[in-house]
Amino acid sequence: MKSLYVFILFIILAILQIAVPTQMIFDREGVLNSGTAYKFRTEPVDPSDPFKGKYIVLSYDVDQIKTEDKNWQRHQEVFITIENDSLGFAEPISVSIDQPQSGDYVTAKVDWYSNYDSSLHFSLPFNEFYMEESKAYDAEVAHRDAQRDSLPNNTYALVYVMKGNAVLDNVFINDIPIAEFVEQ
Amino acid sequence: MNSKLIKELPELITNNVISQEVASNIEEYYQSKHSNAPNRLFTVFGVLGSLLVGLGIILILAHNWDGFTRETKTIFAFLPLLIGQCFTAFSILKHKSKAWKEASGTFLFFAIGSSISLVSQIYNIPGDLGTYVLTWIVLSLPLIYLLKSNAVAILNIIFISFYAFDMGYGYFSVNQTPWLYLVLMTVILPHYIKLLKHQRTENITSIFNWLFPLSLIIVLGTFVNTISELGFLMYLLLFSLFYNIGKLPFFDHQKLRKNGYLVFGSLGIVIMALTMSFDGFWYMERFFLNAQETYISLLLFVVNLAILIYAYSHKWLKEFNLFQYVFILFTVLYVLGLNIPVFGTLIVNLIVLALGITTVKIGADKFHFGVLNYGLIIITALVACRFLDTSMSFVIRGLLFVSVGLGFFLTNYIMLKKQKANVKSLKH
Repeated sequence: MKSLYVFILFIILAILQIAVPTQMIFDREGVLNSGTAYKFRTEPVDPSDPFKGKYIVLSYDVDQIKTEDKNWQRHQEVFITIENDSLGFAEPISVSIDQPQSGDYVTAKVDWYSNYDSSLHFSLPFNEFYMEESKAYDAEVAHRDAQRDSLPNNTYALVYVMKGNAVLDNVFINDIPIAEFVEQ
Repeated sequence: MNSKLIKELPELITNNVISQEVASNIEEYYQSKHSNAPNRLFTVFGVLGSLLVGLGIILILAHNWDGFTRETKTIFAFLPLLIGQCFTAFSILKHKSKAWKEASGTFLFFAIGSSISLVSQIYNIPGDLGTYVLTWIVLSLPLIYLLKSNAVAILNIIFISFYAFDMGYGYFSVNQTPWLYLVLMTVILPHYIKLLKHQRTENITSIFNWLFPLSLIIVLGTFVNTISELGFLMYLLLFSLFYNIGKLPFFDHQKLRKNGYLVFGSLGIVIMALTMSFDGFWYMERFFLNAQETYISLLLFVVNLAILIYAYSHKWLKEFNLFQYVFILFTVLYVLGLNIPVFGTLIVNLIVLALGITTVKIGADKFHFGVLNYGLIIITALVACRFLDTSMSFVIRGLLFVSVGLGFFLTNYIMLKKQKANVKSLKH
C-alpha cells in the first residue's frame, strides 16, 4: 500500500519533470508561430557552456537609446519598443519601465546611462545562439571575413517577438543561415 | 583486512595459538557479517555506471547536432528522461533492490538536466547557469525521499552547493546572498538524520559527515556581503561549531576518518587563528551592528553555546579542551580588540600557542602519534608565520626553530619509550 503512494507521488513528479521542458517548448513555439519577425544587426563571439554546449554570444548593434530620463538602475528590467528602419532592420523607438500597451517591444537589462550623450545603454537577453561544437568558432571567423567586403554590417539575427517575449530563430551572414555559411 | 585474518587462521591453529573451535567461530562471525556485501558492490557499480552514462549523454547532446531537425532534437531531449522515468517507476513498483533504486535515480537525475539543457539549446533560450541548475535541483530533490536514494542526495548536495557558489561568488552577483541554499539543504536534512539514526557507522553515512560540513564551509563566504572583516569571525564560529559537533559522543566515538566535523573544525580553527595572528589583521575600518554578517555571527555563536551547554548538562565535557571554548575568546576579541592591533595580535598568538600545546597534550594522553605531531605542526606554523612579519634578530629566530625541531624529536621519543614500557607492563 505504501509503495502505491510512493508510486503515485513519483508519477506526479515525473509529470512535472516532463512539464517543465514542455512548457519551455510551448512558450517558444507560440512566439515563433504568432510573433513578428525582426532582424537585429549583430556580431558573434565564441564562448562555451559546460552543460549546454557551444554557443556564440551575439553583441547587438541595438544597444542604446536616447532618453532624457536619467533615473535608471543597473540590471533593471526595461521595455524597448522596436520598429523596422528603412533598410528592414530593427531599431529602438522608446524605452519605459512599464509594459507598453501597443506596438512590438522586447525586454532588456540596463547597463548604464551616459550623461554625455544622454543615452541609455542596455543588453538584449536573446544573445546566445547554439551551434554544433565545431562551427561556433568558425562562425566568428566567417563574420569577420564577411565584414571585409564593402557592405556595412551584414550579419543579423532573426528574432520573433510577441508581447515582450523574444525567441532567437537563426543568425544570417549575407542572408545565408550562419551554419550553412560556415560550411561554404 | 578480514579476509587476511581468515587466511591466517590455519596457521594460528597449527601453532596452537587458538583452538579449532575459536577459529570456526571467527570464520562464522565474519561470514555472517559479509552476507550483504555483494549487494553493496552492485549498488556502487550501478551508481557509477549510471553516473557515467548520464554525463556521457549530456556531453553527446551538447555537441549540438546540426543535421537533425528541431522536431528530432526535441524527441532526443525527452528520450533519456522517459527512459530514466520508466526504470525508476519499475524499481518502485516492483520493490527492486537498493542497487536498482540508486542506479535508476542517478540516471534520472542526469536525464532531467539533459532534457532542460537540450531544450534551451534548441530554442536558444538564454539564461544563467544558476537558474538552470536550480530548476534541475527542484525537479530531482523529491527523488531522494521517493527512492530513499543516497546517490541522488549526494548529487543534490553537490549541485546545491554549486548553485550557491555560482550565485554568491559569481562575477555578476555582487551582494547576492543565496538564502535558498539554506532551504534546499534543510530539505535534505531529514534524509541525513535518518542515516545517522539507523546507519551511523556505515561508510555511506560518513560520506555525508564530510560532505555536509564541506558544503557549508564553501558556501558560508557567500553570506558575507560587505563587511569582510566579520567574515573571518563567521568562519571561525562555523569551524568551532563543527568541532563541537564532532566532539559530541555520537561522533567522537567513531573513527576519525568518519568524523569530518572534527577534522574540518580543528583544521579550520587553526588556519583561521593563524590568519588572525598577523599584525595587519586587527586594523578594522568599520563595524556595523545592523548587518547581515553580524546576525549570522550571532546565530552561529548562540548555536555554539547551546551545544556546549547541552554537552555540559550531559556531563560530556570531562576534560578541558581549549578548541571547544576558543570561539568565546575570539568573539570577545572582536568586540573589544578592534583597532588595538597590539592587543589583538598578542592574544591571538598566545591562543594559537595554547591550541598547539592542547593538541600535543591530547595526542600524548591518547598515545596518538598523528595528533601529537599535528600539535607540533601548529606550533611550527605559528613560528613560521612570525618569521614573516616580525623584526626579531636572526639568532632568535634560529633558536626558535631549533627548539621547535628538538621538541619534535623529544616528544616523539618520549612517547615511543612510554608506549614500549606500556607494552612491556602488559606482557608481565
